[in-house]
Amino acid sequence: MEEDILTTLKILIIGESGVGKSSLLLRFTDDTFDPEQSATIGVDFKVKTISVDGNKAKLAIWDTAGQERFRTLTPSYYRGAQGVILVYDVTRRETFTKLDNWLNELETYCTRNDLVKMLVGNKIDKENHELDRAEGLKFARKHSMLFIEASAKTRDGVQCAFEELVEKIIQTPGLWQSENHGRAVQLTDEDAGGGSCGGYCSLV
Amino acid sequence: MAADSDLESEVFEITDFTTASEWERFVSRVEEVLNDWKLTGNSARTLSPEKGQYTSGTWGEKSQDINFADFKFYITHYFLKEECDQDEGTDSPKEDVLPLGIQDLLCMNNDFPPRAHCLVRWYGLREFVIISPGTNCEAIISESKCNLLLSSVSISLANSGCQVPMFVQIQQKWRRMYAGECQGPGVRTDFEIVQLRKVPSQYNHLSGLLDIFKSKIGCTLFPLPPVNIAIRFTYILQDWQQYSWPQQPPDFDTLLGGEVGGVEFGKLPFGACEEPISELHLATTWPHLTEGIVVDNDVYSDLDPLQAPHWSVRVKTAENPQCLLGDFLTEFFKLGCRKESTEELLGRGLTEEEGKDNSDISSALSKLTEPTATVPITKLYVSNMVHTARKHIRRHRRIDESPLNTDVLNSVLLYLFPDAAVEKSSENVKSKTAPSNSGETTEQDKNSDYNLFLQLKSAPSDSLTYRLALCVCLVNYNYGGMRAVAHLWQEFVLELRYRWENNHLIYGLTGGPPDLRCCLLHQKLQMLNCCIERKRARDEVRKTLEGSKDRERRVSGGSQNSRQAPESTAAATRELSQGKSWDSWSDSEDEFFECLSDQGEIEAPQTEGGKDVSKGKAEGRLHPHNNMTLLNSTEPLYVPVTQEPAPMTEDLLEEQSEVLAKLGTSAEGTHLRARMQSACLLSDMESFKAANPGCVLEDFVRWYSPRDYVEEEVVDEKGNTVVKGELSPRMKIPGNMWVEAWETARVTPARRQRRLFDDTKEAEKVLHYLAMQKPADVASHLLPCMIHAAILKLKEEESVEDIPSVKKSIQQAVSQASKLLHPPNRDYKKLEDFMNQLMVMEISITRARSLKAKFSVSEDEKGEDADELEKFVSSLLEEPEVAVIGAGQGPAGSIIHRLFINSQRAALLAPMDDDLVSDRKLTGRSSKVADFPPPAGREILLRTCVPRPAPYSKALPQRLFCVLMKDEFRLAGAFSTDTSFF
Repeated sequence: MEEDILTTLKILIIGESGVGKSSLLLRFTDDTFDPEQSATIGVDFKVKTISVDGNKAKLAIWDTAGQERFRTLTPSYYRGAQGVILVYDVTRRETFTKLDNWLNELETYCTRNDLVKMLVGNKIDKENHELDRAEGLKFARKHSMLFIEASAKTRDGVQCAFEELVEKIIQTPGLWQSENHGRAVQLTDEDAGGGSCGGYCSLV
Repeated sequence: MAADSDLESEVFEITDFTTASEWERFVSRVEEVLNDWKLTGNSARTLSPEKGQYTSGTWGEKSQDINFADFKFYITHYFLKEECDQDEGTDSPKEDVLPLGIQDLLCMNNDFPPRAHCLVRWYGLREFVIISPGTNCEAIISESKCNLLLSSVSISLANSGCQVPMFVQIQQKWRRMYAGECQGPGVRTDFEIVQLRKVPSQYNHLSGLLDIFKSKIGCTLFPLPPVNIAIRFTYILQDWQQYSWPQQPPDFDTLLGGEVGGVEFGKLPFGACEEPISELHLATTWPHLTEGIVVDNDVYSDLDPLQAPHWSVRVKTAENPQCLLGDFLTEFFKLGCRKESTEELLGRGLTEEEGKDNSDISSALSKLTEPTATVPITKLYVSNMVHTARKHIRRHRRIDESPLNTDVLNSVLLYLFPDAAVEKSSENVKSKTAPSNSGETTEQDKNSDYNLFLQLKSAPSDSLTYRLALCVCLVNYNYGGMRAVAHLWQEFVLELRYRWENNHLIYGLTGGPPDLRCCLLHQKLQMLNCCIERKRARDEVRKTLEGSKDRERRVSGGSQNSRQAPESTAAATRELSQGKSWDSWSDSEDEFFECLSDQGEIEAPQTEGGKDVSKGKAEGRLHPHNNMTLLNSTEPLYVPVTQEPAPMTEDLLEEQSEVLAKLGTSAEGTHLRARMQSACLLSDMESFKAANPGCVLEDFVRWYSPRDYVEEEVVDEKGNTVVKGELSPRMKIPGNMWVEAWETARVTPARRQRRLFDDTKEAEKVLHYLAMQKPADVASHLLPCMIHAAILKLKEEESVEDIPSVKKSIQQAVSQASKLLHPPNRDYKKLEDFMNQLMVMEISITRARSLKAKFSVSEDEKGEDADELEKFVSSLLEEPEVAVIGAGQGPAGSIIHRLFINSQRAALLAPMDDDLVSDRKLTGRSSKVADFPPPAGREILLRTCVPRPAPYSKALPQRLFCVLMKDEFRLAGAFSTDTSFF
């Protein structure tokens, strides 16, 4: 079972309080939805193994609390993450406008700058959208992120979001391969030729 | 079908492809290879190679094993890769075109290539095949074997129609003897080599060699077509005496003689200790002479190197010259691989006390956490710190046995903790402010160089950690090796302990929580600073309280026990917290955020149980929150003073997330996790209650998680619109953690709460961790800083010399280092390679420096000359051979000339005065001493095109390449014959 797992990936879920981070996670890991999920305290953690393009990846997903006060606590868990899911609520503009703060937070606390970012607009099942898809797309393009709209309640886009993210991470080999096969620095070009006279044949 | 029947009808005619002897088999194998490599056709290219193409182009090589019986040979094809075949269209092979190999004999565009196979040099070939004995096979020495091989070659060339010259290597390998053949339509060239140890006197000049060439050609035509001559003399300069290597190894002893403060500790040494350029080879070339123009015989020679039309120079670099930076790095890196512990190094006695202290941390902790009468800060001088630490050590060790000299140690410590020296003079401890600003951060520092630490996961270049790395490196290299490092480290940790115990912030660290982007050691030091800061703040509060209220100190044990701790939380935490990292969060410590407590203040709100609050006295208010008022009163809603969360280093964090993760993914796990992390929430709630007497959970939520308080406009019975608010559904879930915590939260201002972050314990943990590090551990901790420092040093030195190739290498090195230093498990093999690359860069820079010193133009010379010289020097470093513009008359040429003159004088005469030398220059070359030493090597290339073997044969290329050296005489001849009628 465990042997064929290609890699273990650390994924973060961040965003304003009440945008449905824990619900998205619960939908993804347990395929359930609980409208009365209590507010996360600190960080929570779930594991799921998924298969993308035949590669099995074990995901350790860290769900964080969105409250301002917890923000002094949660960023410590950003360390070493390979992927991050930024969630906003399509029915609440302020959760979208605060995204910049979250990106700053990421930049400050993430130990790697090449992590894959995904923007998820949640709660599209609701009626009163304050944000349309185009705005999300524009933001994602500006910050080179993946983008999807989803609903934890109706399942829409949830599975797809995680799969896309993992696929992208796996396509970025430096991100998940522990050992690097980087080429050594070439300082001198290798002596051409060779053979019995050493190739570099000067008179003396 | 038809073919089948044909075969059947011809069944009696048998073609025998079986080869009888080993020799025949060998020949057919050679043919096979030639066929495989597609060398059989007539390539029919007539284009002669361009000037210098042999050097600028790339050479290909293809190799294969081939057996003669059980004797192994290599057959190798060497060829110049041509960019594209321009003559693709004109594919029709012309009958009488000479094979390329024979055409090349006369081509003059690539004489004396600076870098090529010897056969290329001798015969000017651009493509050839060599059969040489296999690696572990003996050389082909006997004449009959040589002939057998050569005839095999001859037969396979003829059979396959291959027009590429083919050689066999004969005699011992070092003799570089080849015999070969090239066949074309009606023409054959034989390649022969003569090699002797001594130059026969009759052939020690051009005229003698011309005689050999002519007699070999054996042409009876008269007059003989003129022989084309190219000559190159090579002179070697080894004695740099007049231009000695300018760098002196640094005088380490002066470090101590200088000021106390030891600025030198911040610098890395750089440069080679010996001349990195060992030889200069000057090649003077007469590329195009004709017989009769020059005279060179046993009594007279026209060949004056100064008059040669073409000069070129190559430099031979010293192999692995000792370089200071490289040595430093190597020694430091080696230190990281040692196993010895401090105890083993410094002896038991020294570490005993430390060990005892650390053996039972908990008892030590309890001792330290006891409220003791601390020394009033104002009475301390920071300058005492180093001093006290020293005394501590001396108790255990006589001065003469300490591995690190006291003076050195003093200057190192003062360099590391410069505040100690500053404070000594000002005698004003309290004025000392933020430790983070070393005050030297200029704008320049804020450029990319400054941020290099982010890429390398080291530490900022103005930080204590970085300076420590430099000191450890220097101490390791120069002041006593590993034992001295152990000593220094011990002193360092002692100093830190002193600072912790006496509330002195550690100088030279950025404030705030540990920066996870830096190396772990840096984080630990920052962590210690956080602890000191907290402790200081606590002591400040205590002091003001002591001053303002003359109250009795009471041991608060009784009241603590009577308190109702949030039992479930505490239990859950305690279960898991045994020795775990969030001890800091747990309630197990009995120390309060503020130690002194007032009985009356605590008791009052507790008895009221947080319900009847109007009489409660608000405590710990920070500021009003957005003009809000409490829901149940008109009091403004205050944001309370809260405890700051615990700072974390990456190892703590790792441990903690591991434990959190271990709780599993079940609902219970989630619940437990929330419990464990609710300490902070609970503390905030308690503070909130204290600041807002009479508040309810809704009030708290409005501040803490505003989105969980839902407000709606509703019309009441009287028809007025009122805003009604309530908790969000998720906050109303019965028994959810928030409600539960709210109910258990007492009314306690932050300053009287249990500390979320137990600075005492954390500080002790850090100090213990540091004390346990072996010298090798210290070195590995500091390695990123060291590499950081080395890269900065290389950058700095390179910018002086401006060497593009080194600049590029540094860039690559940075990105490689960032890959090597980030993963927790370092690959030491790769790191070692990486260090070697840094050393190569250092050597390159010192070479540049040495050459620049030698070819420096004096100030009164023209500016354009300087530019030209600079270009000349930089190409000397990048290219194998560089042409000297203007030969002996150009600016570089005259410098080289002078170099040789000086070296000649030094070698042959007693040292003479400078003015004598200049005199001599004025009077010209009249001196008895020649300007140049005898050439180390002479190469003479003779070419002509004459009919052979008979006067009526076709005129064909003939070539003889002669090498005359002190201990080698070589003639490499290629003589073509018209085979049409013979």
